[in-house]
Amino acid sequence: MDWIALTKKWLLIPSVSFLILLLAGCWDRVEINDLAIVVGIGLHKTDDDLIELSMQMVNPSSMISGQGGSGGQQGNGQLTTVEKAVGKTFYDARSKLQEKISRKLFSGQNRVVFISEKMAEKGIRKHIDFLARHPKPRLRSFVFVTKESPAEFFKVMPNLEASSAETARELASLKIGMSVEAKDLLQMTSDESDNAALPVLEIEEEPPNTYGLRVKGTAVFKNGKMAGQLDDSVTRGLLWIRNEIENASVTIKPEDAKNYISFNIFEENTQLIPSIKNGNWKMTVKINSVDDAVENETKLNLINPDTVNRLEKQLEKRINKRIRKALKLVQKDMQSDILGFGEAFHRHYPDKWAKVKDNWNEKFSEITVEIKSDVKIKRPGRSASPPAVPEDKVINE
Amino acid sequence: MKNGEKGKLPSIKRRGKKRRSKKADKMSKLESSVDEQTPLFNNLSDNEDTFRSIYKDSSDVIFRPFYIGEQVKAILIYIEGLSNIEEIDDSVLSPLIKSSMGENYFIDTLIHKKVSTSSVKEVKTFSDSIKEISSGNPVILVDQQNSGFALGLSKWEKRSVDEPKAEMVVRGPREGFVETIGVNTSLIRRRIRSPKLKMKSMQAGEYTKTRINLAYVEGIVDETVLEEAINRIKRIDVDGVVDSGVLEEFIEDNPNSPFPQVIATERPDNVTASLLEGRVAVLVDGSPFVLVVPVTFYSLMQASEDYYGRYLIATSIRWLRYLFLLISLFLPSLYVALLTFHQEMVPTTLLFSIAASRAQVPFPALVEALMMEITFEALREAGLRLPKQVGSAVSIVGALVIGEAAVSAGIVSAPMVIVVALTGVASFTIARYSASAAVRMLRFPMILLAGTLGLLGIIMGIIVIIIHMATLRSFGQPYLSPMAPMKWSGMKDVLLRAPWWKFNTRPHYSGNYNKYRQSDNQKPSPIRGEE
Amino acid sequence: MIEKGKISTLQMAILIYPTIIATAILLVPAITGEQARQDMWMSPIWASAAGFLSAFIAIQLNKRFPEQTIIQYSETIAGKFLGKVIGFVFIFFLAHICGVILREYGEFVKGNFLDTTPMIVILGSIAFVCALAVRGGLEVIARSAQIFVPVVTVLFIFVLLLLSPELNPANMLPVFEKGLMPSLRGAVVPAGWYLEFFMISFLLPFLRDRKKAVKWSAVTVIAVLITMVITNMVTLFVFGSLTPKFTYPVMEAARYISIAEFIQHMESVVMAIWVGGIFVKISVFFYAAVLSTAQWLNLSDYRPLVFPIALIVTVLGHWSASNLQELEIFLSETFPFYSFIFLAVIPVILLLAAAIRGKRSNKSSN
Repeated sequence: MDWIALTKKWLLIPSVSFLILLLAGCWDRVEINDLAIVVGIGLHKTDDDLIELSMQMVNPSSMISGQGGSGGQQGNGQLTTVEKAVGKTFYDARSKLQEKISRKLFSGQNRVVFISEKMAEKGIRKHIDFLARHPKPRLRSFVFVTKESPAEFFKVMPNLEASSAETARELASLKIGMSVEAKDLLQMTSDESDNAALPVLEIEEEPPNTYGLRVKGTAVFKNGKMAGQLDDSVTRGLLWIRNEIENASVTIKPEDAKNYISFNIFEENTQLIPSIKNGNWKMTVKINSVDDAVENETKLNLINPDTVNRLEKQLEKRINKRIRKALKLVQKDMQSDILGFGEAFHRHYPDKWAKVKDNWNEKFSEITVEIKSDVKIKRPGRSASPPAVPEDKVINE
Repeated sequence: MKNGEKGKLPSIKRRGKKRRSKKADKMSKLESSVDEQTPLFNNLSDNEDTFRSIYKDSSDVIFRPFYIGEQVKAILIYIEGLSNIEEIDDSVLSPLIKSSMGENYFIDTLIHKKVSTSSVKEVKTFSDSIKEISSGNPVILVDQQNSGFALGLSKWEKRSVDEPKAEMVVRGPREGFVETIGVNTSLIRRRIRSPKLKMKSMQAGEYTKTRINLAYVEGIVDETVLEEAINRIKRIDVDGVVDSGVLEEFIEDNPNSPFPQVIATERPDNVTASLLEGRVAVLVDGSPFVLVVPVTFYSLMQASEDYYGRYLIATSIRWLRYLFLLISLFLPSLYVALLTFHQEMVPTTLLFSIAASRAQVPFPALVEALMMEITFEALREAGLRLPKQVGSAVSIVGALVIGEAAVSAGIVSAPMVIVVALTGVASFTIARYSASAAVRMLRFPMILLAGTLGLLGIIMGIIVIIIHMATLRSFGQPYLSPMAPMKWSGMKDVLLRAPWWKFNTRPHYSGNYNKYRQSDNQKPSPIRGEE
Repeated sequence: MIEKGKISTLQMAILIYPTIIATAILLVPAITGEQARQDMWMSPIWASAAGFLSAFIAIQLNKRFPEQTIIQYSETIAGKFLGKVIGFVFIFFLAHICGVILREYGEFVKGNFLDTTPMIVILGSIAFVCALAVRGGLEVIARSAQIFVPVVTVLFIFVLLLLSPELNPANMLPVFEKGLMPSLRGAVVPAGWYLEFFMISFLLPFLRDRKKAVKWSAVTVIAVLITMVITNMVTLFVFGSLTPKFTYPVMEAARYISIAEFIQHMESVVMAIWVGGIFVKISVFFYAAVLSTAQWLNLSDYRPLVFPIALIVTVLGHWSASNLQELEIFLSETFPFYSFIFLAVIPVILLLAAAIRGKRSNKSSN
């Protein structure tokens, strides 16, 4: 009797539950060998207004030969595979794409989303919904606008990274140009001012037959549609205003000198201070930046406070110029508030903001902007006076 | 039947009785004239006949008839190899035989005068005599006397006190318990010299008649625990208690749990510390493992060395142990869950390299994990059981065949081997072998759960384990205390190993206990006198 | 008494805290954000009044009937027949809420982790686990909670700390854009959660040190308040106006964490927090349901009821809503009033009636 009870407890129950587990154990389980790991998603519009979806997937078995093989030899197999399909919506295209692939598409490791210019011009709002809805894609994926079809970009085999998606991600995380994550994009488009900016990516051809990617300027969106593009130098101005400058360097030519000095900006802080006086909307852009000299081609001695003061002034001017240039384009020409002015006014003047928010972009173009930049050169770098210049030729003033 | 014997505690008694009655019938045929409590006869030849019939076919029982002072018939009964023969010759037989005897003599005065052994005990019944004889004390029966004399002359071959093999320390005493209970009690007594240390003697086992000693410190021990322990040992009715492990299974609260509810230790210093904390130690003759009750889960995670090293280091080592407890329990299941359910949670580059190494593997991750874990367990078991000379062969086969060949043949993936190896190492950081065995066993259901429900399955498994542990009690002590129910004073020996001068209170085992164990403000500081 | 175990007030606090918080931290930010926008962090503060109220009622009732639960004293107060009716309705409410919580859990797990696993398996597994805990008795639930709650709290703080680089406090501005009303309207739903504080009335009879109950209840309400405010603030700081657009903002925030490319995808941690907390929550409600049923039927032991009621609750959970949308609407529109009736109106009426009729439990009956 007891023996039976014990058997029941220790054999029957575990074995039954084990069987149940085994029977049940095939709902969500996917072996890693059966996954096609997507690292890049590209969206493109065809001429008949359908979505062309392209995906870049890693090919793990070729990574073995890449890893185990001797030295730099990458094996025959490509590290990544690119597939594309056309469909009515993102998910429709995805299902069509799945039909071509022997493994289950897995976008949980997706790093970048490329949106082609063509799609950007027609409006992106309805297409980025999947970023927040589908459980797998990451909100941290970086979003880019590409000049041509994203598939072309995915096919580029970069030299340093394993895939072009990885290259794009690294470029974005270096923050040389705009770097926009899916979350930021969603936030920008859901804001009441509803203007977004995305970095533009283009293929750089370097003969013989090697291709690379580079960030080139910024695409400006207005009401979900691309309204125009800014080139690199204007983008810098934009980044200054948006407080997103990082890893930047400024090179200037000091007055009455023939050569250049380069500075590395290692601390930067921008504040947007809105004010409304007598119905006059004004935005003060206050920039504080701390720079280091990293290269000095001139004979100036950077330890001299007067020289440093002059250089600081010159740097400030330079920054102002850049910002003005960006402002002119963004504020006057494109009339698209990608600078965050709308949010700033909304936060400080909610009542007045509520009145203008419906035609904010017009109001935006009327705002007077004041720039207060303050640059400090804190250290002359590792050498004070130019080390390669004889002592008597150094200009000390 | 064998299975049934190890069942639940409450049912033992009933079943035991059933079986005993059958055996009693058999016994009565054998020893028809003698009952347990039959007093010794007055007539020596009757006594001798009875003993000879009891010890029929026992060639190692020696009957040595002799005459005291050439007049009175007597017989000495002892077991070969259990008693000190030289002493019997020198201090018992020769003085008695050579003694001259007056007219009015009393045998007991004579024995007390002439026999120079340290202990002489009077025995009045057969069962008492048998008990003495079988524990190595020769018994003298004298004609016309209805009592005999047991002489404390037991001496048998025993292992010398050695370094404990299962619980190594770098710092701390190197003595370990041995199989002889007398030596073990002495090892404890040497450490607690106060007469408050009590050793209550008990016995269990119908045939083995194993000596059991309950050691405790009067005034510190929790009386209810002591009483409970005594009752539980009294209830045992089996053929034999071969090792303290057998006893353990009879006295623990829930034998159906994988977790040990009794600590078995080889280290006298460990037992000493436990006794001073108010616990009860159970010493079983024939076993070098002494049982300590009550136990909490956290005390299984404490190694004796924790208390001898610097407290900061001991604390960090303790945390390391907790971490590796988690690793040994969850690492393989986490690996399976992440690889088959939640690939997005693996860092990208890691995922790529795992995917690359798994590309050739024919098995699903779940099967691979189970296979490798079972192989590891087999290797461990083989390594334990094999003679020392062959042991190295197993490790070579294990390392080479499983580690190298299987990976290069593409049967298992390299990350899996790493996971299994790490799990194996982790399981041996747990201070108590019995606890680490529990963890190793629970690993398998966890892997299965991870393979069916992913992380959710693992969390479910954790919840079930915690519920089970919350249900457990060890001699009235909740298993998870002092964490649950929460006792802050107990936490300083769980989350930390507080410095010794902070251990002012004893761990709280139940209601009535002696709270303080040392005086306050003993933190050493050089300027103390100036205050 | 049916329950033989005793718990401490600390254990009561540790049981009640996750009972409120577990589901609140995932669902409340989105639901309050919908109404209160950038003032959503204030809503839990207003809503906490409900918590103090229901804790007060529970304690007052317990002072009159120290050893009894609502099922028992409703009979004393309202008479045999009406009392039984109240008891029955209350049991149904408890079982239904229990099912709804199960369903919230199921929707979360299915929507975020196991999309193809059948709902009934997800619900059944947690119901089974909770049933095991309830079978062990109140002490076992309390002890398990004591293991889980500290771990869960530490993990939660850990997630919040990891989120700190992403926080943008400017998202809080402008404060009171449309006055006080949005934050008050946002407080309606969290108030429903706070009302669950009435669940202490099922624990109060088994307290070892009942004198400290008032103090610890207040501490728990405040702890819940702080947690909710911080949760709402953090999601607001991370997502700003995007917050109400997610179903589970905290989950999204955790998913967003990425530090040094290695510490990322903390959603597994959030799931651990959620499951650990919801285990306690379901166990408390389930325990209350089982205990009430046993008391209502005048049984001497509730253990035989555990698994049958677990089955009923699972089925209730499965049927409580046909989809997530329905569940969300139930939670944000029906639930506050539903729980208001059962956890505030009925107890208040009982308390008033007891006060007017001067009813107290006679000590000899226990």
